[in-house]
Amino acid sequence: MLKPVRTSILPLLVWLFLVPCGIAPAAEFYLRAGVNTLTMPDNTVVTIWGFALDTDNNFATVDGTVTSPGPMLSVPATDTTLTIHLRNTLPEPVSIVVPGQITTMAPQFFTDGQGRSRVRSFTAEAAANGGEATYTWTNFRPGTFMYQSGSHVAVQVQMGLFGGVRKDAAAGQVYPGIGYSREAILFFSEIDPALHAAVAGGTYGPGRAMTSTIDYAPKYFLYNGQAEITLTGVVPTIAVGDRVLVRLINAGIMTRAPELLNSSMTVLSEDGNVAPYPILERNALALLAGKTMDVIVTPEAGGTVMSLFDRRGYTSLGTSNGGGTATGQVIPGLAAPPTTGTVVQGGGNGGGGGGGGGGCFINTLFN
Amino acid sequence: MKQAVVKQALIGAVLALWLWAGALPGHAAITGVTGTSFSFVAREGYVSTPDGGSVYSWGYALDNGLMQYPGPTLIVNQGATVTITLRNELPAAAGNVSIVFPGHAATASGGVAGGLTREAPPDGTTAATYTFTAANPGTYSYHSGTRIGLQVDMGLVGAIIVRPSGFNPANPTAYNHPDSAYTYEHLFLLTEMDVPFHQAVQAGVLAGAINVDTTTFFAVTWFINGRCAPDTMLDDGVPWLPNQPYGAMVMMHPGDKVLLRLIGAGRDSHPFHHHGNNSTIIARDGKLLESAPGQGADLALSDFTIAMSPGSTVDALYTWTGEKLGWDAYGTGAEYEHSCNGISVNAVNPASAGFDPVTREYCPDHGKPIPVVLPSDAELTYGPNYGGSPFLGSGGALPPGQSSLNPNSGYFFMWHSHNEKEMTNYDIFPGGMMTHVVIEHPNVMLMGGN
Repeated sequence: MLKPVRTSILPLLVWLFLVPCGIAPAAEFYLRAGVNTLTMPDNTVVTIWGFALDTDNNFATVDGTVTSPGPMLSVPATDTTLTIHLRNTLPEPVSIVVPGQITTMAPQFFTDGQGRSRVRSFTAEAAANGGEATYTWTNFRPGTFMYQSGSHVAVQVQMGLFGGVRKDAAAGQVYPGIGYSREAILFFSEIDPALHAAVAGGTYGPGRAMTSTIDYAPKYFLYNGQAEITLTGVVPTIAVGDRVLVRLINAGIMTRAPELLNSSMTVLSEDGNVAPYPILERNALALLAGKTMDVIVTPEAGGTVMSLFDRRGYTSLGTSNGGGTATGQVIPGLAAPPTTGTVVQGGGNGGGGGGGGGGCFINTLFN
Repeated sequence: MKQAVVKQALIGAVLALWLWAGALPGHAAITGVTGTSFSFVAREGYVSTPDGGSVYSWGYALDNGLMQYPGPTLIVNQGATVTITLRNELPAAAGNVSIVFPGHAATASGGVAGGLTREAPPDGTTAATYTFTAANPGTYSYHSGTRIGLQVDMGLVGAIIVRPSGFNPANPTAYNHPDSAYTYEHLFLLTEMDVPFHQAVQAGVLAGAINVDTTTFFAVTWFINGRCAPDTMLDDGVPWLPNQPYGAMVMMHPGDKVLLRLIGAGRDSHPFHHHGNNSTIIARDGKLLESAPGQGADLALSDFTIAMSPGSTVDALYTWTGEKLGWDAYGTGAEYEHSCNGISVNAVNPASAGFDPVTREYCPDHGKPIPVVLPSDAELTYGPNYGGSPFLGSGGALPPGQSSLNPNSGYFFMWHSHNEKEMTNYDIFPGGMMTHVVIEHPNVMLMGGN
């Protein structure tokens, strides 16, 4: 049994206070790939792989909590370079790629049992059990992107080795000339507990009990890494007239269909590519695997809760009548703006909206 | 001979055409219920599938009506305040039921509290009431907001059509702009079912507790407007499909503009593919594809396979004239005398520019013979939709004993999910998410609505 890495939450909180919204440090991050566990709503404990933010910016001490999604990385609008230092504590090589951002890649190959050269990783790797590597993007462009392992992708991404990285075009502008006043980040992912158990138990791989991910059968559906029925920490405090930017990221394998009630979503971009007319509104989206979409929600009426959920109806604990609740899994979505139309801090709807850092970008660091 | 009989009929029809002018059957409109106040009841029922299946399902019924799949199509006017009360007569094991209205700002009252909205408990009497203003015209869906993975698959879905303010049935538009003008409109509400899932739910109802795993969802049967092909091609309201009142057969004349109101109402995405011509997608999710308010559908796009993801709606305009076929769809030679822009097909130079104002024939191809040697009867295998000739509106001799479902010699084009697996009824091909459009000769009177 792999032991979960449990470290104090304190450094995480310190980091959050030190790094308020929009004032990120130089875009250089130290990430540690490691193991943790998540307890599902039915109390099943699932081993995950994830990334931890090394809060003292060196790998001399093990700090930061391994989460999936990994820490949300923010590249300042004025910075064009992102550097990620990776230390890999996992038992197989890991790398980091950012689809949609251009850098020099160094694919890694291996020779299979039939003598064929086959690719193992999209770029250079940090070796298993303590290896380190550094990745640099020198012309980082604005938008919402996902970083993920570029090694043994079929397994490692499912296991949780992904996170978000964002860059604004300018202060308060997600893309040139497109402003926003509030922000939420929403990761979709799934867990097939059979795969996680096989990887954790050493029964995954050639000649073992599970030889591939072909029988993928997710049982838990996660939002920002949470499989719970009611989410917390997703929702910013909003007011009538706000332009609420929701960064949607599908880190899973299945197509999801986020649907918003009581308002509509103005689609700005896909995969960090701004639409020719970033004004078209949708009520439901097709959020394909690996895709990011930036949408704007503009609260129009005070007191109206705008709920966001997966129109495909996938819920953790799909057995029984919605897993012990009468509702199924619902993302509380965007809290009702106050009827007075004034901005308040720390509000949220009864469904667990939460303040989300007083309107700063919503952290996805949770365990 | 039969061919001559048909031609005589056509000659008569030509004479009658002028009498009909302006009096052709009303625009094929979508069957639904109009008004501002509706009483829904969630009930159980059985959905008939052409493989012989009878699938236990849940659906919204209107008043004292039967459960129907999909629920009643609501046709309301822009600006109207719409109120829907919902009672729940499902068995107790089904639990609460609700309705949500994507694209509308709705309020709910009554019933009991739920995750997304107020819900109606399965006591048959406690009503939840939903109210919204139909602020914008377009095509919308409604569906259960309770245990979506379970209840959407069980059938608790439906369509809403909001007519633009100032809607004129004689000159209809889908939105407040002439770019959305159409001749006929048809609904294509796309769903699928995991039939074993329904059987498990029914067993659960009988046992008093539903215990099914919605994460293993695996559809085996696919529907347009709640019917599987070939039932999609039956008329609305046929008595032997009491829980599935809506057909999906499209009839049109050349040059008509058919508005396709497509709804992704299930849990899976479906590539809706229409043969015969591209369509023009003018709106998504009830929003005209316009670069700025009032610009019309200036961002419309031409397509022939429309990605219908869950929760999405698409409005697309489809027409067919035979344009650029490269041959005269009305036939050539003395047997097929007809004119285009007043020029006989047998004239020395029959072609002209543009379209005939009556037949909508594409006049540049007028008089061009079909570029194949037509095989003899003995060399043909006849399908049920062949009228006896390749020419629109002209029948032909059929072998003795060969019947035709195409008495007016129209052109049939299949419209279907291009995920071909979805054209089956639980492993039996053909069926599923498939229907036809038939292009009828301009002289042929079309049947009623779809």
